[in-house]
Amino acid sequence: MTTFPTASTAPSEVELPETHEVAKPELPWLVIVWNDPINLMSYVTYVFQKLFGFSRPKAHKLMLDVHYKGRAVVSSGPKERAELDVARLHQHGLWATMEQSG
Amino acid sequence: MSFRRRIRPSRGGGYDLRLAAEERALLAVLPLQLVSLLAEAGDKSPEELPDALHRLLPTAYTTDPDSERAFVAMTREDLIEHHRASLETMSQTAKATWLDDEQLSAWLGALNDLRLSLGSMLGATEEETEPKGAQSRPAEWVAYLYLGGLQSELIDVLETTLPDPIPGADDLVPEDLWGDPPGDLRWDGTPQPGDQ
Repeated sequence: MTTFPTASTAPSEVELPETHEVAKPELPWLVIVWNDPINLMSYVTYVFQKLFGFSRPKAHKLMLDVHYKGRAVVSSGPKERAELDVARLHQHGLWATMEQSG
Repeated sequence: MSFRRRIRPSRGGGYDLRLAAEERALLAVLPLQLVSLLAEAGDKSPEELPDALHRLLPTAYTTDPDSERAFVAMTREDLIEHHRASLETMSQTAKATWLDDEQLSAWLGALNDLRLSLGSMLGATEEETEPKGAQSRPAEWVAYLYLGGLQSELIDVLETTLPDPIPGADDLVPEDLWGDPPGDLRWDGTPQPGDQ
């Protein structure tokens, strides 16, 4: 089972971008959905369409990003908005986290 | 080989359900087992949760424990309640021959919750091959595969009921500044699947 995001499981040659910078209140927060081996691809596409009102091609593209790249940014905005989106994604069983951009 | 569809839109609205008695028995019982597990989750951290609940109660802030604690305090109760309501609806309507929109939506959530729970216990992988837990938990492995098939059929039906896309919604998604992961690995360090 995929265990990200604990950086210790990633091979040492992969350098992940630094995410420990001092908070910058003016920068938007990004909502990120991570790959997992259990959710069906059709289910992820369906949830993206249902929660965010994406077109089917856009939802499908984001699902493929999750599947092949391991993650996809699905929304951005103020912290409260991002927390709401993460909570909605968690209710639908998707593996969502949030981080500040920049 | 052709399959009779088990879930179909009903002429007068809602959905007709054609399931065997054995399927209905499973769908009545399994959700309740997960409901009892969830009742003990409280505000436990991922390390304290059993494998079966890991994927149902994920982490939002991975590098900021204080924000994560606040997020859990704010959202955990609602999240557990959301899972519980879906699971109980499926259990209570497992013998029904017709479901309304709300009940079918609950079924989708409950099937996904059960698969997340069973898949985590089994150590499921993206391949169809048996995960390492399949030998020691054959009943769970069969249930996991069965639930995936049923969920897939349900999604085929529900896809056709989605409202029109929201104009402009596609354009609001920012580019991921991380871009493409290096080499043949995903950003989470797992190998990229080669079947694109």
